Amino acid sequence: MIEIKVDEDACVGCGLCVKDCPMEVFQLQNGVSYPAHPENCMGCLSCHEICPAQALEHKGVVPSRRMYISMKVCNMLRKVI
Amino acid sequence: MPASYIDEAKKQFKTDLVFKAEDVPLRCDPPAAELEVTLHGLMQMNGYIIKSLEEIAGRGANAVTYRAGKKFGHEVAKYFEKKDDVEDALRELSYILHGQYSFEPWKPGDRDDYIVEDESGTFIYLVFHDCIVRQTLRRIGEDQGGPFCQTLCGYVVGAVEEITGKRGKLEIIHTGPNACLKKLILK
Repeated sequence: MIEIKVDEDACVGCGLCVKDCPMEVFQLQNGVSYPAHPENCMGCLSCHEICPAQALEHKGVVPSRRMYISMKVCNMLRKVI
Repeated sequence: MPASYIDEAKKQFKTDLVFKAEDVPLRCDPPAAELEVTLHGLMQMNGYIIKSLEEIAGRGANAVTYRAGKKFGHEVAKYFEKKDDVEDALRELSYILHGQYSFEPWKPGDRDDYIVEDESGTFIYLVFHDCIVRQTLRRIGEDQGGPFCQTLCGYVVGAVEEITGKRGKLEIIHTGPNACLKKLILK
């Protein structure tokens, strides 16, 4: 099962993860997101991508192969960063 | 004095190689690690073909790409063993899609079985992890769930129909950056 952690200090309570998740994994509780049904998470990481505060962390997700990333661009970024 | 571009290009493509009719390539050349530029070029070209198709044909683009995928699925799967059992068919399907797409059966936490049978037929949820369609769409910055995703739907349906002999349908339930949820229905 995928474990989901929400950084409560970072979460701004926008509710985007609640709205976006098709499996209703998240709920808003006391103004912050709470993973009420992590057992329903399929690891699509839509919430992860949509979260404006980068407050979500998923453990146990199978990462899909990322063939779309251009290594040329990554190498340039590495030099800058 | 630097050599002209034409001289450089001519030198680059000059070879004494004798290509005989019986020469059969034993491997892909160059090695896969050197194919990044080729892959990205292909991904971008595919993406823009689909984008242009959608701009010109509108919603009809979905039907075109679905049909293309379905033909591909039927063509690829026709050499595979026919299976009646859904699990065996999925195993065959994963073998067919290997290297391009990977999927796993999925069910919500409150459900007991992966394969559900009701009056409308048999269905199973599949989470697609690796997907060359998703990779291509993200490469060119396009939305998921459009006509290009229909190629995968058609591909899977075509292959499953060929393996099981039943009519199939693949519904897109959700698309995400790392995985997509789809519902495979067999009638």
